[in-house]
Amino acid sequence: MKHMETEAPPTGQSPPDVSQVDITLTVNGTAHRLEIDSRVTLLDALRDHLGLTGAKKGCDQGACGACTVLVDGKRVVSCLALAAQYEDREITTVESLCPSGELHPMQEAFARHDAFQCGYCTPGQIMSAVSLIAEGRANSEEEIREFMSGNICRCGAYPNIRAAIRDVAAGG
Amino acid sequence: MTTLETGTVVGAGLDRVDAPLKVTGSAQYPNDFSLTGMVHAALVGSTIAAGRIRSIDVTRAWAAPGVLAVVTHLNAPKLERGPMTLLGGSPPAPLQDDRILHYGQHIGIVVAESAEQARHAARLVRVEYEPAEALLDVNDPRAEIVENPWGLDTERGDVTAGFARADVVVDEAYTTPDNTNNPLGLMATVASWHGDSLTVHDSTQWPHNVRTSLAGIFKVPESGVRVLAPFVGGGFGAGLRVWSHVILTVLAAREVGRPVKLVLTRPEMFTSVGHRPNSVQQIKIGATRDGDLVAIEHHGISSVAMEDDDYEPVSYCSALGYACPNVLTRDRQARLNIPCPGSMRAPAEGQGNFALESALDEVAHAIGMDPLEIRLRNYAEEHPILGLPWSSKALRECFTEGAERFGWSRRTPEPGSMRDGRWLVGYGLAGVSYPFYQVPCQARASVRHDGSAYVRSAATDIGTGTYTVMTQLAAELLGVDVARVRFDLGDSDMPYAPQAGGSGLTGALGNAVHAACRRLVREFLDVVRDDTESPLHGAALDDVTVTDGRIHRIGDPAQGETYTEILTRHGLEELSADGRSTPPQSEELGMALSGAFGAKFVEVRLDPELGLLRVARVVSAIDGGRILNEKTATSQIIGGTVGGISQAMFEETATDQVTGRIANATFGDYLMPVNADVPDMEVLFVGGPDRATAVGTKGVGEVGLVGLAAAIGNAVFHATGRRIRSLPITIDRLML
Amino acid sequence: MRPFDYVRATDTEQAVAVVSADPHASFLAGGTTQLDLMKDGVLGPERLIDITRLPLAGITHTDTTVRVGALTTMEELAADPVVRERLPFVREALLLGASTQLRNMATIGGNLLQRARCRYFRDPTVAACNKRNPGSGCAAITGIQRMHAILGTSDHCIALHASDVAVPLVALDAVVHVRGANGTRSIPLTQFYLPPGDTPHIENVLQHGELITALEIPLLPETARSHYLKVRDRVSYEFALTSAGVALVIEDGHIQEVRVALGGVGTVPWRAWDAEDVLRGARAGADSFRAAAEAALEGARPLPGTAFKVELAKRTLVRTLETVAGAAS
Repeated sequence: MKHMETEAPPTGQSPPDVSQVDITLTVNGTAHRLEIDSRVTLLDALRDHLGLTGAKKGCDQGACGACTVLVDGKRVVSCLALAAQYEDREITTVESLCPSGELHPMQEAFARHDAFQCGYCTPGQIMSAVSLIAEGRANSEEEIREFMSGNICRCGAYPNIRAAIRDVAAGG
Repeated sequence: MTTLETGTVVGAGLDRVDAPLKVTGSAQYPNDFSLTGMVHAALVGSTIAAGRIRSIDVTRAWAAPGVLAVVTHLNAPKLERGPMTLLGGSPPAPLQDDRILHYGQHIGIVVAESAEQARHAARLVRVEYEPAEALLDVNDPRAEIVENPWGLDTERGDVTAGFARADVVVDEAYTTPDNTNNPLGLMATVASWHGDSLTVHDSTQWPHNVRTSLAGIFKVPESGVRVLAPFVGGGFGAGLRVWSHVILTVLAAREVGRPVKLVLTRPEMFTSVGHRPNSVQQIKIGATRDGDLVAIEHHGISSVAMEDDDYEPVSYCSALGYACPNVLTRDRQARLNIPCPGSMRAPAEGQGNFALESALDEVAHAIGMDPLEIRLRNYAEEHPILGLPWSSKALRECFTEGAERFGWSRRTPEPGSMRDGRWLVGYGLAGVSYPFYQVPCQARASVRHDGSAYVRSAATDIGTGTYTVMTQLAAELLGVDVARVRFDLGDSDMPYAPQAGGSGLTGALGNAVHAACRRLVREFLDVVRDDTESPLHGAALDDVTVTDGRIHRIGDPAQGETYTEILTRHGLEELSADGRSTPPQSEELGMALSGAFGAKFVEVRLDPELGLLRVARVVSAIDGGRILNEKTATSQIIGGTVGGISQAMFEETATDQVTGRIANATFGDYLMPVNADVPDMEVLFVGGPDRATAVGTKGVGEVGLVGLAAAIGNAVFHATGRRIRSLPITIDRLML
Repeated sequence: MRPFDYVRATDTEQAVAVVSADPHASFLAGGTTQLDLMKDGVLGPERLIDITRLPLAGITHTDTTVRVGALTTMEELAADPVVRERLPFVREALLLGASTQLRNMATIGGNLLQRARCRYFRDPTVAACNKRNPGSGCAAITGIQRMHAILGTSDHCIALHASDVAVPLVALDAVVHVRGANGTRSIPLTQFYLPPGDTPHIENVLQHGELITALEIPLLPETARSHYLKVRDRVSYEFALTSAGVALVIEDGHIQEVRVALGGVGTVPWRAWDAEDVLRGARAGADSFRAAAEAALEGARPLPGTAFKVELAKRTLVRTLETVAGAAS
């Protein structure tokens, strides 16, 4: 029995060996020029090339939400995005939430309600929660549950995450 | 033994001390570390489950851009297997021969300048196999059977005689599937050599084990190996062992002479870092018409890898749970061509309790007794195996106070008798008697000239709250404000700590911190023993107490002075003391050592046409001994409960026959609860400090999970009259 | 992932020309399928033409249709007031189809072209997959099948089309507008997808290089009521085990107009024509609903792992019909 290489087969006459892109990413209001492999995802660009390790890699398949960041104010999973596609877009990561060191109300509420345990999903949860409120979707328990379901918490802090969001939505 | 005095700091629902780091994304997990000159690795995994590698061609992989090394069994150095540990043997050393023992077995590692290059090149390795027939099914008659693997089989009384006088006998098979730990943090290793010195960032629950193992495997002095894990993205048992990918990363770093980072992919997390093995359990319970249990016989078989160990005594819970005179428990393991199982949150208990507490429900139904009543009626007032009084047990309060809070009395006994519109309603409950576990641990405490305290131990906080509760404990024991106490962990250069596992760390570490802090206060008293300027001179430890950064004589707060005053007068920068804890012994204490207890009450809603099952409410009543922090302990129980809901309703690792491939090794296919699946829930703590240790805690990391599967299954029975004896309880098993 | 050249398109015609002329080039839009499959090693384009900057986003309305630019995101379409008002089951399917994060990324054009979720297709270590390697066989047929199709399958492939929104869209007779090297054409969505037959690797009628530019959704009469029901293990964020999209116009207890499509069961988004025939003109009620469900699943070819889906799909359809009829009466 033989198993072929598991990479998709090269089909062209001269497939590229290396392909770089030269892009400018605007992250948290700062423009960064990057010359990177075209394969680099937005998540890996943030983490490995810009040192912004707040966004986490939990599945690298768009299924856990740990890598959630905002693009032009809307939440996306940065692991399913090529960095090159996001040139000139406004990218916002968890690192931007407390520029002066004072916690964002959502961060404070997560701390107060113990809305995490290991903390690995937390930046993604918080970016999602901030976005949820901006979307106007924190009006009911049902809404919060449904529209926070793209962020998996394996430690199981969901009830506390909802409590934190309710608090912030209520202006507390 | 000096028991911990009740203060104001311990027990309080303090926010996690590491919360600011976690909510800002600045907590550094192993895969957040980047080192100068660091390069990246990717693994090559076997695509068959059994056989040999006939040939392995790395030409194209080597030729790919950026590639620095390709290591397979053909060019790997000889590596010793890691040492025997508290948890059994170490996993087999990787790349030592051409044999394939399971799908996903690491058969090569590729190192390249970038992660993209390494992953691509790893896919270019061509492998030809000589496959053999794989054993994949726990029921396969060809599988080698390991009898009584841990010496924990039990027998008391005479079960045959017991069943002979039973009015009712339930004898059923219960099965549980493979589950995969799947901590959200992809497990990662960053290894860096400097001569014979090695620094490793690793997603481990046990830094010392990684240090000892790597030193042994790579034949370097243990003192030169440093393992760091200040934050770990969960573990649930997956980080307890020194798995092959850790060894390979260290090997790769030595090969290329540069720091190497390896981050497992999510599919690799299903085959590389353990899983809860499936089980088939035959359980037989005999009872009288009045509800007295007269005999229990529980046989469990679990799967285990061909050449590895795993601890899963699934039937043991039946020996511990209830006062039944005649009990026989037997465990076996079948050796299969599977990735090695390992502990997953509440190993063995999670599976065994499902059978025991479901079958008990069947007995209750058969004799027409309330499921709560049968559990209270057979309450084990003393330890059923040792015949000793418990060091603490408030399971009765768990049942009664939990039932009260839940509103159990509203339950109408007839299955299918409760409804809410289209939804059938079911109530179910289960009890949990979690076994005691504790192993030796050390800690070091210091008080500095500025009056601040620094306490540390090489433990880990995998989300359990260790940073926080140990800070509180040290603050209480040293009389220093929590804001002025720093507790550090996750560094193998710190005093020895055991694994975060077995619900045993808080007890072991707490008592070590207790010992260190008490000894530190004594050190201060020693310093001023002959110091006539000190109001404390000549005082013994029992004569004093600590508060507000001061030591003073009991009953006379004026007779004391601050740590700073003592250090200043004696020209000292700081004083330090080491402390250690050793597990208490039942025989010495004349008490049976108690783990946590719990009672779980669940309400489910079930749409019988579409098979939709929803957990509407959960009340967990827990005897966890002394609760060091009500907030984090509650989170532990909530999180465990979510894990239990997940085990009951969602999780099943599916394995392809023949190839042994995991057929659902992604988060899109392997289901775990999302936010919308989890109701708000209530947690009650009952009971008080355990009598066996100074601090009196009983670990609460696992008791939260256990019992949910049975309670949900029992509630489904109550809602529908259908008994589901195989997990998970899914739509296809529920459509009526 | 194989290396590739990244090219950002600025002109639609040019983008189409480039991809049409290069068999190893692919379009890249939201990326949620494309990038995922490239990471898995299933797809390996040598050139990726990023079309996200092309002027193909946006929604326009007439009295009878909603025209949706192909780059409109799922989230944007769900927020459209006309969709909300007149096509509630389209909105429901969109919102139930993915997490908010993915809905903000995934485009409508991309959603229609999403690839099978079959784990045998998505794993290149599995040798037998006719969709990936024509002629290699189908590992799923003897594998683990819970998430596979029971309608439209063949001996060569049982992969499911997992789109939610495509279900109401086929029910509505939506039309796909495409541009190719030789100009534009319009294809009814009901004729867009190809069942696997003995060519599972050919999933739709598009030629290489043809680009979906827009989707046109006809509106139903104002008296129509509709609903999309998705049945799955989790409450949220999971592909359907079964689903149904139904729209009805009921007058005097009789069904005047009917649209029925099923998800989670078909190799393509499944228009249930036979069920519609049973229901059209019939009295709305348990008998006709059950008869429609029986008709819809008449041709089901379950395997052991998908056997439960036959009855589940019927009940899903009946429940959806009941819900819509309840709202309509």
